[in-house]
Amino acid sequence: MLKEHLDPRKPSGTGYTSKVRVRDKYHIVGFISSGTYGRVYKALGKNGQKGEFAIKKFKPDKEGEIIQYTGLSQSAIREMALCSELDHANVVQLEEIILEDKAIFMVFEYTEHDLLQIIHHHTQPHRHAIPAPMVRSILFQLLNGLLYLHTSWVLHRDLKPANILVTSSGAIRIGDLGLARLFYKPLNSLFSGDKVVVTIWYRAPELLMGSRHYTPAVDLWAVGCIFAELLSLRPIFKGEEAKMDSKKTVPFQRNQMMKIIEIMGLPTKDIWPGIVSMPEYSQLQSLAMSRAPGHFPRSSNLEGWYQSCLKNGGYATSSGAGTPGADGYDLLSRLLEYDPTKRITAQEALEHPYFKNGGPISANCFEGFEGKYPHRRVTQDDNDIRSGSLPGTKRSGLPDDSLMGRASKRLKE
Amino acid sequence: MAANYWASTQRRHWLFTKERLADIRESFRERDKAAHSQFPLPDQRLLNIYFSQQLIKLGKRMSTRQQALATAQVYIKRFYTKNEIRHTNPYLVVTTAFYLACKMEECPQHIRFVVAEARNFWPEFIAPDVSKLGECEFALISEMNSQLIVHHPYRTLSELQPELSLTSDEVALAWSVINDHYLTDLPLLYPPHVIAVMAIIVAVVFKPSQTSFHGTAAPLAGAMRDGGMNILAALGDKNGAGPPPRIQKLVGWLAESEVDIRAVIECTQELVSLYEIWENYSEKHCKELLGRMVKSKNLDK
Repeated sequence: MLKEHLDPRKPSGTGYTSKVRVRDKYHIVGFISSGTYGRVYKALGKNGQKGEFAIKKFKPDKEGEIIQYTGLSQSAIREMALCSELDHANVVQLEEIILEDKAIFMVFEYTEHDLLQIIHHHTQPHRHAIPAPMVRSILFQLLNGLLYLHTSWVLHRDLKPANILVTSSGAIRIGDLGLARLFYKPLNSLFSGDKVVVTIWYRAPELLMGSRHYTPAVDLWAVGCIFAELLSLRPIFKGEEAKMDSKKTVPFQRNQMMKIIEIMGLPTKDIWPGIVSMPEYSQLQSLAMSRAPGHFPRSSNLEGWYQSCLKNGGYATSSGAGTPGADGYDLLSRLLEYDPTKRITAQEALEHPYFKNGGPISANCFEGFEGKYPHRRVTQDDNDIRSGSLPGTKRSGLPDDSLMGRASKRLKE
Repeated sequence: MAANYWASTQRRHWLFTKERLADIRESFRERDKAAHSQFPLPDQRLLNIYFSQQLIKLGKRMSTRQQALATAQVYIKRFYTKNEIRHTNPYLVVTTAFYLACKMEECPQHIRFVVAEARNFWPEFIAPDVSKLGECEFALISEMNSQLIVHHPYRTLSELQPELSLTSDEVALAWSVINDHYLTDLPLLYPPHVIAVMAIIVAVVFKPSQTSFHGTAAPLAGAMRDGGMNILAALGDKNGAGPPPRIQKLVGWLAESEVDIRAVIECTQELVSLYEIWENYSEKHCKELLGRMVKSKNLDK
């Protein structure tokens, strides 16, 4: 009732009207993907602004028909803050952030490819391995971006092929910092914030074991999984996720742990002294006891896995540019090291013989590659396109304000 | 880089000169002279004291850490370099800065809880509807260009503690000096490490015993005014035989470090004048002036 009396010439500084409008600056050409956070669209710059863009729209929550401001999720806040701060050739480039109509639009450079799509392409119509020099360039750029994140005290926490973007000129960009966060003396332990991180297939053993104080090493495990997947064209540890129960306690990911053990052998306190103090240690023991002795290998079979992977992929048997060879195996085994304190760091990995030997590494991972990858799929209809078989990343722990709002509303009804 | 101050948005976009800050404030005054004469407000530092006390109230029940309160104070300062305070509801800005800072500093609080808590303290200024706070969050983020990562001097302090073998009393005093610097413009004027060094000097030169901070800072102001001359002299004269060994060690370290000593001295003076003006602080007065402004301009609607 009082609103009419407000002097229109002096709008309240806390009210909000966007100074920039997305549609004035960008022409939306289609829909790329959607997730728990919202949707990603492909757009072209307008009014003299050249180039292609990917616009990530964080969905505003709908309470009834009228969209209300309900507070932004912490994941959106983190991604906005970190992307505004970071600047590196191997980390996705943020163009700008527009806050409009109670929604957030993060405008990124457009990337034509991502590793998920590239890996998929190599299984069609029949399996044909990704050339060894390309794998090496991808991995080098990925580690280079990760080193930058880690020296900036940023943990990515959700590295997986779908989040590793590739430009049409073969540059790798680490994308999706929605789960990333600073780890310099956090106010709360990292565990208390988000109870579940990293898509299960790429989740490090210390997370599966319930570790409360995890480190950048979780990202390096994920890089190891990605390396293996680039070579074999399949996720190396393709476990099934045990869902969170109604009490919101995080279950032991028995199946995923089993997949790791099948290749890496049972972790023991000799190779990983810290394991005995892990919260899920008893679960691991009961898992080991549940099978006949000898069911799980006592020692790592990674080398066997690697050799047959090279053979199946038709990588050259003698050393040279045609194969990741023995150096590649050594690096992989250091990335997939059980003990996070012994696992190779991004810095060490970049100095590994796999990169030192075997000549220069191109900043264009497609260099010398004859094939062509299909363009990113952009659809005109705005329907949900979910890749049903892929497990998503849980963004729990931090109750998304908007979701909580909805849940409590439902409860009342 | 997120954790590297030198490449940070804080250094690139949120560091002002004194003159620039004064120009900004003068331009606000020029643009709305009527409001300025109709609604006089206390000195900015007194308002800052008031805001910080409101933040502490808000944070208390939610057991918020000091760093989140510090971040909130920086957000408020940044916001008011873009907005005339007389066009805003400061209670809403304070609450929103708190809500946003808690998320950024990884101690998130639910929006409903924050609004409920704020209404406990200022029922007449905070609407029960959370959407007001949500809208203000958009305004805050937008005015700050989503540059939400704040570098604080606390980190430098804890890094320097072993190097300068600071006692726990000295660290505690330096810590509270850092807390106090958020009541001035210093966070917008100097890098965090300069502030930390200033706080350490103050702590080492003026013993903790002399001080009971917050509210009764007058003795410290006096001590700093008188004793400050000594350290300033010592800093200028590296061969001086005057100050005790403890201080000499610090002076030696300062001379070798690449810290901008002139900036450190300017910060000390800024702090001295804060403690002087603090004597005039009246919570009631701030509350009345702000309340009158918000109510008669309907800024709470």
